[in-house]
Amino acid sequence: MHRVRNLILTIIAVVLFAFFLDKAPDILNGYWQRILNLIAINAILALSLNLIYGITGMFSLGHAGFMAIGAYVSALLVLTPAQKNAMWILEDIYPWLLNVNAPFVVSLVIAGVIAAFFGLLVALPVLRLGGDYLGIATLGFAEIIRILITNTARLTNGSLGLKGIPAHTTLFMSWGCLGVVLLCMVCMLRSNFGGVLRAVRDDEVAARMMGINTFKVKVIAFTLGCFGGGLGGALMGNLITTIDPRMFMITQTYNILMIIVVGGLGSVTGSLIGSVLVTTMLEWLRIVENPITIGSINIPGIPGMRMVIFSLLLIIVIIFRREGIMGMREFSWDIFFPQAKAKPKAEPHESDTVLEVRDVMLKFGGLTAIDTLSFDIKHGQIMGLIGPNGAGKTSAFNVISGFYKPTSGSIKFLGRSIGGLSPDEVCKAGMSRTFQNIRLFGHETVLQNVMTGARIRQGYHWWMSLLPFVFTDVLREDAAVRAQALDLLGQLGLAEFAEEQASSLPYGAQRRLEIARALATRPKFLLLDEPAAGMNPQESEELLQFIRRLRDEFDLTILLIEHDMKVVMNVCDYIHVLDQGVHIAQGTPDEIKANPRVIEAYLGKGAA
Amino acid sequence: MNLNIFIQHFINALSLGSLYGLVAVGYTMVYGILRLINFAHGDIFMLGAYFVYFATIVYKLPWAVGVVTAIILTTICGLLVDRIAYKPLREAPRISALISAIGVSFFIENFAVVVFTGMPRPVVQPPILMKPIELSGGVRLIPLGILVPVVSFVLVGALLWLLYRTKPGLAMRAISFDIEATRMMGVSVNKIIALAFGLGSALAAVAGIMWALRYPRVEPFMGMTPGIKAFIAAVFGGIGSVPGAMIGGLILGFVEIMSVAFFPTLSGYKDAFAFLLLIMILLFRPTGLLGEKLEDKI
Repeated sequence: MHRVRNLILTIIAVVLFAFFLDKAPDILNGYWQRILNLIAINAILALSLNLIYGITGMFSLGHAGFMAIGAYVSALLVLTPAQKNAMWILEDIYPWLLNVNAPFVVSLVIAGVIAAFFGLLVALPVLRLGGDYLGIATLGFAEIIRILITNTARLTNGSLGLKGIPAHTTLFMSWGCLGVVLLCMVCMLRSNFGGVLRAVRDDEVAARMMGINTFKVKVIAFTLGCFGGGLGGALMGNLITTIDPRMFMITQTYNILMIIVVGGLGSVTGSLIGSVLVTTMLEWLRIVENPITIGSINIPGIPGMRMVIFSLLLIIVIIFRREGIMGMREFSWDIFFPQAKAKPKAEPHESDTVLEVRDVMLKFGGLTAIDTLSFDIKHGQIMGLIGPNGAGKTSAFNVISGFYKPTSGSIKFLGRSIGGLSPDEVCKAGMSRTFQNIRLFGHETVLQNVMTGARIRQGYHWWMSLLPFVFTDVLREDAAVRAQALDLLGQLGLAEFAEEQASSLPYGAQRRLEIARALATRPKFLLLDEPAAGMNPQESEELLQFIRRLRDEFDLTILLIEHDMKVVMNVCDYIHVLDQGVHIAQGTPDEIKANPRVIEAYLGKGAA
Repeated sequence: MNLNIFIQHFINALSLGSLYGLVAVGYTMVYGILRLINFAHGDIFMLGAYFVYFATIVYKLPWAVGVVTAIILTTICGLLVDRIAYKPLREAPRISALISAIGVSFFIENFAVVVFTGMPRPVVQPPILMKPIELSGGVRLIPLGILVPVVSFVLVGALLWLLYRTKPGLAMRAISFDIEATRMMGVSVNKIIALAFGLGSALAAVAGIMWALRYPRVEPFMGMTPGIKAFIAAVFGGIGSVPGAMIGGLILGFVEIMSVAFFPTLSGYKDAFAFLLLIMILLFRPTGLLGEKLEDKI
């Protein structure tokens, strides 16, 4: 019911706003109309950069470059041959370019597509980089694009720029484009694919273990963001009617960055609010640079003061209110309708070799982390992997789950060799794991964490999530996954936390949530890395029961790293012992307890 | 191209490269310790140039006094930037400090426009540095061209001595490995970080002064492009490595000067070389020439 009510309210708001835009030319003077246009364009740019940075977590400083591409493509398409002939003074324009022409709306789409194409070209090499390097590399690409535009005068008229672009960007145009962008983006972010994007931001390693090809997801988000950059640039060019390479310096990117930081990284609502505030403020601040006369007093304008104030505000915001106005929250009509929080209901609910590790060796340079490890795990077994600190246990997990490639040796999972596969491929093959230091998607709800794990079982493509009302599979599959996730949470006793933020859960619940998320991928084989770490005796006793229940109810085979000997000895059917990378012993719990080499490894020589 | 012209280009590349290197050292020290790209570093470099301009040309101080004053003032500015804009964000996500750095860079540039105006100002070069020296074979050298690399190498040498032969240097290297562990060893981490900012700013000031003498003029945005290029040099050499920063700077200087010297048609693309180099190194050797591999713990 809330959804119907909210939809009606949204439609009313949109209609009212459209009515306002229709009347705006009569009420507002040119100055305010221009600001209104700039707000919409900046909002498109901010949303697209927010998709790349705030939502998917890729620090990109290249937006100005993609804007430049969009602005030039659109301008070259809408300018008439006569205008082009008159403008290219220094060098002749390419003949084919002279007669190319397209209607404005078509030029916008082409501008976005070409910017997205360049974005894809950039993304394929540089998205392999993380963090700051990505920022500086994308900044570099934006500069290269600018230098190319300056130097390819036959194509772009070089540093002279393009003038007399028809002022096609009307209020309906800019706000219409914003509406379409906004609708697609909100739909995508509400689908489970949107959850995947945020999961990649929160913890890329864990996302890969959920079967997500994080590189592909990042390329998609980056390319979509570049489309938005090109579209915004094209609208900007057709609003200002003059473009030249100096317009698209790094300062332009900083302005957009400012908008999303002020609004709140990762919040769509925040980007919209930020666009209104920053755009209005930047225009308003022009006052300080113009001379003012109050009565008989003349205050001379101070050049540069506008940007001084602007940058000071940026610093103040980041120091005192890092999360911006909205943080990661979003606007919803629900805030006007107080209501009791509905608690999701959940009801409780069902030998061959699974893994074959042969002579696996793992070296980092001269350091041997694992020295020829071999073992088998049979269906339904709970196997323990123990050893002192630095024995290579987690390294063994990382090799099996695909984070490290073994230096030599083979790993077969369900009869298939998985030696060189990446974590997401390993996950798709039916393996999942938890991490020693819990790696949840901390900003997401408990439910969303689990739903991310189910993404690999969904059939719809990412682009369908842009238009869920056309591709209803998105809505249906998301609803199904949601129900299954709630079910799973119920089974693991986490149902009451479903709508809480994952990082706010108590420690033991976070451990269980990590397992729930792993189970959502429907694994046949589960790797648990120190599940009892940090638990008191009471809790680890419960964990024992829990692990056995997991195996029985989910038909799992389990490999377990654990330091808590009580847990290991009680729950494991069979145990392998590593010491400094060497496989020193194996056997049933009783055999291991009596093995002198194991005791020596733990307690030192002489203890046995 | 005859030998004489080649030597001119060589000296030119050496000067430019060592200036990039000197600025890059400041980036690499801060990044090595805080994992922060100090975007404001290029603007600190600009301030150094302006301070020497005002000290010697406007206030007519002797050159030696002017240079020392400028270095001191620039160092103070560098420390202030750390204290005001970065220190409150030490515990925050790294990206917050990075955005703060962008803000500071913006602020310094535009503040310079407000205070110094946007007009470029000419710098008077001391005649003693500009009088050509005749060498055998008709090769003419300008003392400034020799002075710049010599000063740079001496300063970087002194810095390396400090890093590898003194207690504060040891602390600085320790922080870059593990800031928490170093704190627990009783090292006053904030002082050492301030020291890194101070040293970096002082070196940037020297670079800014020599830059102003070379091109003879100063303007508020003069730090922007050299700043980004010097950061690229630091990444190229291996971020966190002081010798790497110097080598990266020299390579960048040689690539820029020599490619235009041999292929004059490329001069319009001169500023793109640095970025191409950056993208190449990131793709094929992301840790840079002398950098060590950093891996996320899983």
